[in-house]
Amino acid sequence: MRSRLLLHVVILAVFGLLMTTSAALAQTPTPNEINDVARELWCPLCNGVRLDNCDLQACIQMREVISEKLTEGESKGQIKAYFVAQYGDVVLGQPSGEGFNLIAWVFPILAAVIGLGWLAYLVLTWRKRQVAPVSAGPDAPADATQPAADDDYLRRVERDLKQRD
Amino acid sequence: MTDLGFIALVLAFVISLYGIAVSLIGARRNLPELVASGRNAIYVVSGLVAIAALLMWRALLTSEFQLEFVYSHTERNLPTLYKFSALWGGQAGSLLFWTLLACILATSATWFFRQQQPSQKPYINSVLLLYIGFFLSLLLFAENPFSRLWRSATGEVITGVFPPTGATAIVPSDGQGLNPQLQNYWMVLHPIGLYLGFVGMTVPFAFAVAALITGQLGNAWIKMIRKWTLVPWLFLSIGILLGSQWAYIELGWGGYWAWDPVENASFLPWLTGTAFIHSIMIQERRGMLKVWNMVLIWLTWELTLIGTFLTRSGVVQSVHSFALSAVGPMFAAFIIATMLGFLALLIWRLPLLKSENQLDAVLSRETSFLTQNVVFVVIMAATFLGTIFPSISELVMGDKVSLNAPYFNRVNGPIFLALLVLMGAAPLLAWRRSAPETLRKNFLAPIIAALVSVPLLFALGNRSVAGFVGIAALFFVFAGIVQEYVRGVRARRQATHETLPVALANLVRRNGRRYGGYIVHVSILLIALGIIGNEFYQSEGQANLAPGESVTVANYTLTYRTLDAVRGPNYTEFRAVMDVARNGRPLGQIIPTKNVYNKNSEQPMTEVGLRPGPIEDVYVVLAGFDNMGATASFKVYVNPLMSWMWAGSLLLIVGVLVSAWPRRSPATAEAARRVPSGAQPIA
Repeated sequence: MRSRLLLHVVILAVFGLLMTTSAALAQTPTPNEINDVARELWCPLCNGVRLDNCDLQACIQMREVISEKLTEGESKGQIKAYFVAQYGDVVLGQPSGEGFNLIAWVFPILAAVIGLGWLAYLVLTWRKRQVAPVSAGPDAPADATQPAADDDYLRRVERDLKQRD
Repeated sequence: MTDLGFIALVLAFVISLYGIAVSLIGARRNLPELVASGRNAIYVVSGLVAIAALLMWRALLTSEFQLEFVYSHTERNLPTLYKFSALWGGQAGSLLFWTLLACILATSATWFFRQQQPSQKPYINSVLLLYIGFFLSLLLFAENPFSRLWRSATGEVITGVFPPTGATAIVPSDGQGLNPQLQNYWMVLHPIGLYLGFVGMTVPFAFAVAALITGQLGNAWIKMIRKWTLVPWLFLSIGILLGSQWAYIELGWGGYWAWDPVENASFLPWLTGTAFIHSIMIQERRGMLKVWNMVLIWLTWELTLIGTFLTRSGVVQSVHSFALSAVGPMFAAFIIATMLGFLALLIWRLPLLKSENQLDAVLSRETSFLTQNVVFVVIMAATFLGTIFPSISELVMGDKVSLNAPYFNRVNGPIFLALLVLMGAAPLLAWRRSAPETLRKNFLAPIIAALVSVPLLFALGNRSVAGFVGIAALFFVFAGIVQEYVRGVRARRQATHETLPVALANLVRRNGRRYGGYIVHVSILLIALGIIGNEFYQSEGQANLAPGESVTVANYTLTYRTLDAVRGPNYTEFRAVMDVARNGRPLGQIIPTKNVYNKNSEQPMTEVGLRPGPIEDVYVVLAGFDNMGATASFKVYVNPLMSWMWAGSLLLIVGVLVSAWPRRSPATAEAARRVPSGAQPIA
């Protein structure tokens, strides 16, 4: 008798917990929760406008879809994937790393490699061609010959004062 | 009267062609009279363009709606300031304003350099007139601001300067109004800065072309145009920053820069222009990088045109873009022609552009400047590709991809960090070669400062890795600059026994170029501080509130009180009054508004409620409301450190002014000292 009572209590508790959880899950997400997802998506029609800031009817509807999907318990990743399937990469604000779009990612790296490679080539070839020390101009002290930066400053300030005063 | 404006433009175009022809013939045949006539053509063309612009302003201010431009961009109730700024609120008017600024600059440069470089002058004048002539051709053949409205015999409304057969003039009773987004103080100023920056780059470009044609490729042209590059660079910087300020308070998304194609278009020449300003120092001091400097000023100038082409041709989509028009093909043709022309000149003169010196060491200021130059160009290339990639993708794949802030931040963020570190390291390296002892001495304090910043930030509650890295880089650069000032002042005081303030003032006064440059660097640090604060530490929240309800974001609680409707001259303003408290302590009120313009009621404009502060801004957007304010939706952002961005903008102006301020060279001062008072020059 006692064990049956306990079983009923447990069943009621589990049922109550399930009800509470489903009620909580069914609650409408707050604007902040919707924006948390919308902030990582971009309006597919406007250029450069984030979904959480766009006033177009299409974007208002997209935010409603986010709300529905959050209510259904979908994660941010799932919701984003849904919109990518619907509209393409345009909603992510950046191209995928596949196919032709790969160029957008590779080009900056290539530009940096070419730039730095050219720089390295320049430095190496110029250093090789150097046969004699270059005489230092008035504004180009060969720092290697200077004992300390402070002294270098002092000398330059003094020279400047002599020239100008 | 407005017909006179059209006639002035036609005459200006013809005289600009005449000026180009006589300048070139005069230079070729060595005829000073023709060269002088070419120079005078600049003054005459400028006068005629000024007349056209003044007549257009008169038409805008007096609501001459028979002109299509006035009808499309103003209305009777538009405040006078915006009637005035409507000139640059549309395609045709902005091209006229651009031409006017180009004329003012060309006239100033011609007058300023009237005594110098006589052999290069005809070529400089030709380039300036070619540039002005091109814009005049756009005004005459593609976008005429003096076009009128006509009703054809079939009842169709058409535009044109001259009436088609059987057409009658239309004079509408009111105009369509100015785009509400442009009815903002910052938007009045922002285009002026950008245009001055864009057209200003024509002067150094003209000098570069003249140096190539004449073969006078020493440092003279570089020395002459340094300030004429710095000033347009300053205007371009101010233009970009004013645009950011406008975006911050007008667009209502809590940010200031969206990597929009038009924003990028202004940023591209800024990048190469900044590289040029730095690399000419190497040519001046060491006679190196002559080809590179030519390429940089060429790129900078072409990018001002390419940016304009992108904005005005419809090639890229943007919230800022002008409507599709016929200017696109003309711009494309001009850009291609000038690129090929300059390239041909450069190849022709390559043998004369040999470097006078070589790099002595990897660890030298020259190498660090060169690296920084490469980094600037890489950022430019990446930003350029990102800007045009949607169009390329559509062309090749038939599918338009969108490249927005996530892409640009991911690509450019790390490169900017490298640039920041280089900005700090370059001044600590000596010209030619840095000895290990000097390196240790110069880098020790900045590195310690960077390391100290990490626990300091941690203690202040920072947990963002990107924030740690960014702020450590700022500490590194700032400590280096302070160290430079301290050493300079100390050395001066030892030599002259001046007091600290006097030594500091004299140090900056006597070497404004160097120490003004450091002030500019500090201003960049402040701007970077604002960017880091906004990017990595922003808090935001949204809530639908009834009067009396509150929303809390970060430490701030905002309580919605009332919604009032106030009538403006050409709009109705809906003002939501909110009380602000920080940690429970009342701070006052903040009033975000929505403006509904009479002529554009379907496009309500956001005016953010802003409470700026040195630590953080409270930024509120009235996203919407129901039943005259029974409920209202608010977006609240707390943006740390943003005020420092605007403070940095002001300091940038100070730094460039200190750096470019005219000062007599020691030789001039000495000569002036030796000339007896009252002496007259020999005629």
